[in-house]
Parts: sequence; C-alpha cells; structure tokens
Amino acid sequence: MSQPNDMIKVMRLLQFTDSQFPVGTFSFSNGLETASFEKIVTNAETLEEFVRSQSHQAAFSDGVACLHAYRAYKAGDYEKCKEIDHYLYGFKMNDEARQMGTRMGKKLAELGVKLYSDPFVKEWLDAISKGETPGMYPVAQGIMFALAGVSEKDLFCSHQYGVINMVLGAALRCVKVSHYDTQLILEKLSDDIERLYNEAAVMDLNDMNAFYPELDILASLHEKGNMRMFMN
Amino acid sequence: MLNKKEKLPTPEVNFDSAREMSRYLNEPEAMYVGAPGKHGYLRMGFELDKEGKSIMRDLERRAPLIVQQELYFDEKMPEMPCVYILSSGGPNIDGDRYRQDITVKKDAFAWISTGAATKLAEMKYNYSGLIQNIVLEDNAYLEFMPEPVIPCRHTRFISDTRLSVAETATVFYSEIYMGGRKYYKEGELFEYDVLSVCSHGERPDGKQLFREKFVIDPNVEHPRNLGVMGKFDVFANVIVMTPPDKASEIYEKTQVFIDKKNKLAAGITRLPNNAGLLYKVLGMEPAPVKKMVRDFCSLVRLAVKGKEVPAEFPWR
Repeated sequence: MSQPNDMIKVMRLLQFTDSQFPVGTFSFSNGLETASFEKIVTNAETLEEFVRSQSHQAAFSDGVACLHAYRAYKAGDYEKCKEIDHYLYGFKMNDEARQMGTRMGKKLAELGVKLYSDPFVKEWLDAISKGETPGMYPVAQGIMFALAGVSEKDLFCSHQYGVINMVLGAALRCVKVSHYDTQLILEKLSDDIERLYNEAAVMDLNDMNAFYPELDILASLHEKGNMRMFMN
Repeated sequence: MLNKKEKLPTPEVNFDSAREMSRYLNEPEAMYVGAPGKHGYLRMGFELDKEGKSIMRDLERRAPLIVQQELYFDEKMPEMPCVYILSSGGPNIDGDRYRQDITVKKDAFAWISTGAATKLAEMKYNYSGLIQNIVLEDNAYLEFMPEPVIPCRHTRFISDTRLSVAETATVFYSEIYMGGRKYYKEGELFEYDVLSVCSHGERPDGKQLFREKFVIDPNVEHPRNLGVMGKFDVFANVIVMTPPDKASEIYEKTQVFIDKKNKLAAGITRLPNNAGLLYKVLGMEPAPVKKMVRDFCSLVRLAVKGKEVPAEFPWR
C-alpha cells in the first residue's frame, strides 16, 4: 500500500479509534459494572481513579504488545506477530479479559480484510479462524495501524483512548456521572499519555507487568456473578 | 578470608538485566553480591520409594538455606512428607541471591512451607533475588504454602518462579505479601523501593501456558490506588495448575466476595490455556488471609486427593 498523506492518516486514526468502529467496545465495562454495584466506584472522583488504574494496567500489557505487533508488521515478521499474540494471551490472567481480547481481535481482523487487500491481514485472519493463534485485539491493532500508515505514537494514543473511553462509556450507563464528568476525566488522563508511551515503547515482552489485585477481584466477581449488562 | 578480588564464580541468580532493577546495581559495601552465606541454594526431590511411600530422596542445600529431613505431621494426610525451609541468615539482605529447585516425581506428593515469615531487609546498594524451578511429573502433587513475605523500607526484591507441571499433576503455589512492617514505629506500609514477582507455567515439553508479572514500585504507581491494593494491606496470590476437570470442581466451590465489614476480599479466575486457576485474596492482617489461602488449599486437596487440609497449628 502506498503511504497515505497526513490528512488521510488522521482520518484513519479517527476511524479506528471511534466508538462506532464495529469491534464491540460498547459491550464491555472492564469490571466497572461490579465496581459500581459494590459501591467502590460511586462518583466522578472514584471513577477517575478506577479508569486511571485501567489505563495504566493496559499501557504496560496491551500497550506494549500493540507496539511490538506494529513493529513486527513493519518488519514483515508474521511469526513474530504470532509469538506476541500467544505471549499476550498467556499474560491475560482474567478469563473475561481474554474473551474480550479475542472477540475484538477477530472482529478487527475481519474489518482489516474488508478495508484493505493486504495478504498479511488475510493470513492473520485465517490463522485466527484455524485456531493457530488466539487473535488478541492489541496485536490486530498493531497490524492495522502499521498497514494503514498511521504512526506508532498515534497507535498508542488510540489504544489508550480505547481503554479509557470504553470504561467511561460504560460509566454513563452504570455510575451516577454526567457527560461533563467523563469528558473532564478523559482530559485529565490524557496528561499521562507521554510518560506511559515513553515507558511502554522501550519495554520487551518480558517486561510486561500488571499489579491490580483489586481490579482482578472485581473481574472475578463479575465472572462468577449474574450481572450481565456488560460482558466484563 | 576471601577478599573482593577472590570472588567465587558469578552466581547463577542474576537479575541485573531486569529494567526494574537497573537503578540498584551497586556492590554492597559489606559482603559482596553472592558471597558465601549470601547465595542460598536448595534442591529438593520427592519420589515414591519401593513401598510406595512419598519421601524426600534428594536434598542439597547451601547456606543460609536450611532444610532438615521430611516429617509426616499432617493429620489429615499422614502419608504426606512435610518440609520447612529455614534461613539461618535471618532476613534477606542487600545483595542476597537465592535459588530453589524442587522436583516432585511421578505419583509422589509433598507439602512445603517456611518456618517463619520471609523478611526482606532495608537495602541501600543492590537487591535481593530469588529463582525457583518447581517441576512436577505425571500425577505428582505439591502444596507450596510459605509464610508471608514482609518487605521493609527501601527493600528491592525480584523473583522468577518457573512451574513446569505435567498435565495430570497438580501444584498449589501460594505467596502472601504484606504491605510492610505495619506496626513498626509509625507504621511502614508500601515504603519499599520495588517488588518484582514473576511466575510462569509451562508443560514438560516447554509449551508456555501463562506468565504473571507484578512490578510494584510505590514511587511510580502507589499501591493505595483504587484497583491496586485500594484500602487493603495484605495480598495473597495462589496459582493452582491442575487438570481441567479438577479446576472446574474447585472453581465452582470457591466463594468470591468483597466483604467491607471484615475488610476481606477474594476472587478466582481460570488461567490461560487450561492451565488451572488463579486465586487472589486481599485483607488487612496476615491471619485471615492465611486462613483463606489454607481453606482454598483444602478445596484443592479435596478435589485432587479426596482429603482436607487440617487446621493450622495454633502457634503458627
């Protein structure tokens, strides 16, 4: 594919990041539904803390993986993408998080095949369908952004925006907050993006890490419970 | 006496390339990294003898780690060899390195704990590192349930635990981390420099199943944040690698909850690639968290061995 000009790159960045992009982000709350039910997240202040933890957790796991996948696509290293995919899947300790990752990842690969005639993406979707690779969303994101000619930093911003906006979108449906509150939180959390990127960009896969036991327990309560407005 | 130029060969426990340790690579002024007495090694091998009794056949140890002979004190499972790992050196100090290799051969079983909490001392120059290799052959069974780890102010600790477990075997691997010396002086919670804990599971053929890594650096992401430790002080992490049918049975019986009144919370999920289960507990004091871990172990033992774990000794 020829390199798109700057304006086209911005259009693609917006397209891939938009909540209407049909990968199903609206179905997930990343544990917020349970956190709200358990009265751990009750207002804008606690929501901000919750979303910040989600954002940081994702930065050093999914964020690292999507950057590696981006670089692997650019290097034409298909096997490396598979390795990253298996690695990330094995790093996702929460069952529902794995389900979310593989569902969204497959949808994104399907979209990739429809939007671009790229043999790499075609092969990737085939590998997912045959069960050769789990097909995690951040890996598909890295591949898509690289082939669409969008920059690595923009990919990381889109990844972070996706995580934050997913939880904030869910918050409007299960926490007593307004649209103003959620936009203010998004605005505040954007201040962290450069630091997160600078750290994630130099991490190897082995450096991926996450310590969020309270989030893990909330996810477990959702997994074993009967709350089903969201899929996690 | 050895001087610094006559160092022993470089210890095989080396985390100097870990990003999170890069700030802590100075040579301690006192005993150098990996000096005799600062480089513990332990190798334990359990197997069935000719009569079918599970015994500790293999034992090698290097100071400060001590293991004496196996004992058979488990009242609900008197055939189980039980071993306490002790350290003659007191706490883990600056520049300490440890390695523990544990093998449970086909059909054998064992219980391992520590004699007391593992204290991680204040560190100034370097870090304390631990590598563990835990290998379970077909149908083997291991309960690894050490006492809590207590980090101090400016502790730097890193560990890597490899669990190589056959599809028919079961390992119960627990760790409990205190936030710090809660009642020391004004209280010393989350004042350590860094805790880096990695546990990864694989099959005997090397197929990787999961990898969990925590890097807790209170200067970067404070453990008090919502979603991290929140209001809790003590954290337990339990990995159970077991066949899928046993995992399902244990999963169904395990209660998950957040009990705000008693300040205790527990969650369970399935590990990736049908490897087993991951159980987490948060609490305020070690005793209730230890009890949760022990009760969970009882569910595991019941599913796999058809027997319960007895009540803890009153002095523990």
